[in-house]
Amino acid sequence: MADAGGWRPPRPCEAYRAEWTLCRSAGHLLHHYYVHGERPACEQWRRDLASCREWEERRSAEAQRSLCESERARVQATRKHALVWTLRQSPPADWHLPLPQEEKDQ
Amino acid sequence: MAGAAGAQQQQQQQQQRVACQVFPERRAQGGSGQGLLSSVFSNDQGCQRLLLKTLETNPYVKLLLDAMKHSGCAVNKERHFSCEDCNGNVSGGFDASTSQIVLCQNNIRNQAHMNRVVTHELVHAFDHCRAHVNWFTDVRHLACSEVRAANLSGDCSLVNEIFRLHFGLKRHHQTCVRDRAILSILAVRNISKEVAQKAVDEVFESCFNDQEPFGRIPHNKTYARYAHRDFQNRDRYYSNI
Repeated sequence: MADAGGWRPPRPCEAYRAEWTLCRSAGHLLHHYYVHGERPACEQWRRDLASCREWEERRSAEAQRSLCESERARVQATRKHALVWTLRQSPPADWHLPLPQEEKDQ
Repeated sequence: MAGAAGAQQQQQQQQQRVACQVFPERRAQGGSGQGLLSSVFSNDQGCQRLLLKTLETNPYVKLLLDAMKHSGCAVNKERHFSCEDCNGNVSGGFDASTSQIVLCQNNIRNQAHMNRVVTHELVHAFDHCRAHVNWFTDVRHLACSEVRAANLSGDCSLVNEIFRLHFGLKRHHQTCVRDRAILSILAVRNISKEVAQKAVDEVFESCFNDQEPFGRIPHNKTYARYAHRDFQNRDRYYSNI
């Protein structure tokens, strides 16, 4: 996390509002139930929106802490499963090479 | 070890032969094999037109293209896409040996279908770009990419499943992803349904929850646009948490 001197919320406040609105929509309720078999939990987006606005208005340290904690938890949730494969350090060497047929034509 | 390498090479050649039966215009070493005359009288122009619109306007595809460029695999329409006639009712495929996406012009029905096929195949291309995927020698790797492609491309949307007369609501998405991943594996690999099913079961938990580069399951274009917005914002995001 960057120091308070250069810190700003990880997302613009309108992004938190948009996510909260989407989360509470009828469409999202249907999609979430279709995937997970339960209702979505939207409260955290509301809390993050409130923290974001509080930081914008008052530069609250508590709001900053709360937002960071929330977003780190989101990132952690995406990383809890081990990957099936090994990630590359660089892209495949032949991605940009001409097709074998084009090579023969040249 | 020479024996093991020989067996692996034999298995790889056998799998490529199966793929060649589905994509007959692909020769063993790749290449689209489509001459000038055949492209004038075939569905190639329609396929190219639909493809261009997808690449320029579809939010799922635009995010995938951005993510691939960021990973060092910038996509070139002429180099990385090929419109061909295919056997069976396969809609497309990703040829890892030539880094090319095959679009089955005789089976792609309309713009929405093209959008979905391109998204699906770009998920495979994205996986190929960012990871060491053993496409031909490890069925678990293939299964993982097929789970991700079915999950993230819209293949298993409620509407698409209803059109297929598969009626289900609670957690049906996951059932669809499993089933379609198995079908995709069987279309390009000469293995039994049980082996395919076992591979999907083994990798499902990990691969269903790996939603890169979207960071969520994009249920429609709104979700895809939000995902793209987040991707474009990632520098700010990671430097402030």
